[in-house]
Amino acid sequence: MSKLSRRGFLQLSGLAGIGVAAAGCSSGPPSGTATWSMWSSSAAEKKVWQDFGTYVEKQLGVRSVATLTPSSGYPTKLDLQLVSGTASLVTALNGTLIPTYAARGAHRPLDDLIAADPDFELDDFYDTSRRISSFNGKTYAIGFDVAPTVMYYNKDLLTKQGIPLPSRTEPMSWATFRELARQLTRPGEQYGFTCAPAIDDLVSWIYCAGGNVMSEDGGRSILGEPEAMQALQFVIDLFVKDKVTPPIKNLVTESSLSNFLQGNVAFMQNGPWQVVNARKAKFDWDIIPFPAGANGSTPRVSGSSFAIPSGVREGAELDLAWKLLKTLTSTGALDIYAKAGRNNPARLSAGSAFQPPPDNLGIVQDILAGKVAGGHAFDVTTNWNQVKQLLGQDLPRTFLGQVSVAEAIKGLTPRLDVLMRQHLDTIRQATARKG
Amino acid sequence: MAVDIAPAPPAPAKQAAAPPRRSREALTAWLFILPSLIGFLIFTAGPVVAAGVISLLDWNLFSAPTWAGLRNFARLGPDPTFWSALGNTAYFTLLSVPLTIVVSLLLALLLNQGLRRIAVFRSLLLLPYATITVAVAFVWIWLYIPHDGLVNAVLGWFGISGPAWLISDSWAMPALILMSVWKSFGFGMVVFLAGLQAIPQQLYEAGRVDGTSPWNSFRHITLPMLSPALFFVVVTSVIGSFQVFDQALIMTNGGPGTRTTTLVMYIYRTGFENYDQGYAAAQSLVLFAFIVLITAGQFLFQRRLVHYDN
Repeated sequence: MSKLSRRGFLQLSGLAGIGVAAAGCSSGPPSGTATWSMWSSSAAEKKVWQDFGTYVEKQLGVRSVATLTPSSGYPTKLDLQLVSGTASLVTALNGTLIPTYAARGAHRPLDDLIAADPDFELDDFYDTSRRISSFNGKTYAIGFDVAPTVMYYNKDLLTKQGIPLPSRTEPMSWATFRELARQLTRPGEQYGFTCAPAIDDLVSWIYCAGGNVMSEDGGRSILGEPEAMQALQFVIDLFVKDKVTPPIKNLVTESSLSNFLQGNVAFMQNGPWQVVNARKAKFDWDIIPFPAGANGSTPRVSGSSFAIPSGVREGAELDLAWKLLKTLTSTGALDIYAKAGRNNPARLSAGSAFQPPPDNLGIVQDILAGKVAGGHAFDVTTNWNQVKQLLGQDLPRTFLGQVSVAEAIKGLTPRLDVLMRQHLDTIRQATARKG
Repeated sequence: MAVDIAPAPPAPAKQAAAPPRRSREALTAWLFILPSLIGFLIFTAGPVVAAGVISLLDWNLFSAPTWAGLRNFARLGPDPTFWSALGNTAYFTLLSVPLTIVVSLLLALLLNQGLRRIAVFRSLLLLPYATITVAVAFVWIWLYIPHDGLVNAVLGWFGISGPAWLISDSWAMPALILMSVWKSFGFGMVVFLAGLQAIPQQLYEAGRVDGTSPWNSFRHITLPMLSPALFFVVVTSVIGSFQVFDQALIMTNGGPGTRTTTLVMYIYRTGFENYDQGYAAAQSLVLFAFIVLITAGQFLFQRRLVHYDN
């Protein structure tokens, strides 16, 4: 075996370094590849996106490359890719972040592409999905799922307790719901209700009471107004006063689904996106409309969409991006998504693919179509992360009984108002840029 | 008398052209240092300079940045979350560093007693430090569960009703500190053990001849001889504590309220969740300045307190 000289060693090290650098600087998939980004946190989700990839390749005749990232790290990774110009042609976006990205010019409006494409039927998408995917009067994304919050209930538990099953179509009143939750609670053993101790879940109650987080123009917080305060107090009382909820052990890991799956909780507030996980329950369960407040049963409607980054160049690249976006949100692709039980598809024509169990799954589409109860698109600001963080500081403490609702809202409102003013300013700047 | 002075023999051409041995050694040393130096310039010094520039800008990542001057630094004053995060970080540092050092030192002293199967104990005690924080944090979440968790169960044996650790206003930060001490004592322990084993035994023998008690032997021999290692552990622990992030994010997400929001967590949220890069850079420079000041202060103190052999 020959000995390696010092000079030789340095030369080899240098070559290896150049090799590593070259590998690190490689520019990703070749041009003409259909690249798209999506969050994916489980093997089941990965399988759905793999099927999407196969569908894309079959429809477009080009190679599909999907960048899948766990949902917790997805926004940060997407930000870095958008800034560094390495984002995919099409990126998935949670509806709450669409205004954030749109206002900052990270994604392009799609109205010109929609108008120039006679094959594309925007009318086939639920109105709420279209509203969630728009900002400042422009369409920035095309939805792939949309759904209202519903109430899951443990049929076995109610039957065992001799309580008649609730109506499948008629929302119960808050008073009835509270009474039922009390009846079904046996402290330390069995509980009436569970939800996440955060604004994402509180907002459905606020909408049902006729309130909102922000004023109609988005310029100030209206959490301190009677409607919102009534809703907040109602839910917090379920936790602190009535004690009909499982005790909170840790705010980070608190999960309404995991509480419900234990089998000793009667009602769980959640979206149909949890249907796929709730099917693992070892008891019989179903879904019903959200309890009706003063404003009726109008819980939050959430959705997710696909969008095209602003960095995508005009010409062949944009052409491919639009074809890819159309394919990923086509009836065929959304059928795959709905059949796998992931969530209710954003297209009306794909709705039939989202099938029971649960028995009453059809109410999801009835609510979206306005046939049963109703829904309220999740209103967010262009700085929703900041609003959510601020609310996330003190609202959970009300669930723990550490501060009263009035104290929490009084402390939060001035800071929320600052964020709302910033939001209006961002919209003003975005409007000026458009002009 | 004429003195013949013989001309000096010409130096061999080869010897004159070659650099002196020390220069060659220096060149070799630089070549070996170079990759690390390049890495430092690109990945450490570069970002610090970039942060300095970005702190003077308004930049939301996606739109072109605009000049902000010192406005981002001026925002720090009236920002209650920044001061709360700074206070939390200082609280964490003031409690976790001394506790970690005491535990590390005690264990190092114990392991230095010539126990049998010392390697096994050493490895076991080093395990928490070698385990990734995410895994450790999840285990501790489970340990801290209010009613069924092991910590409160143990307290219950002594008739103590433990708090709801991670959701308590008063106990969330101590809970994080306790976990952090458990996670990081292994590092200090290894450094102290190395330091203890380097202390010449003659010093202890001389002490024994003079009739020194074990406590005086510890005070007047062990501690002074261990002071360089102690200083190293204090400096690195303080720097590490000011950068605490992952365990707080995983175990409490900064709550309840902002009770466990640390400065690095706040910087991360400002920059990457709120898209306020300029303000995040200003915060990180202030954190950098705090760390530099505290470390400089420690170096001033070390002249009086740290004893070196030479």
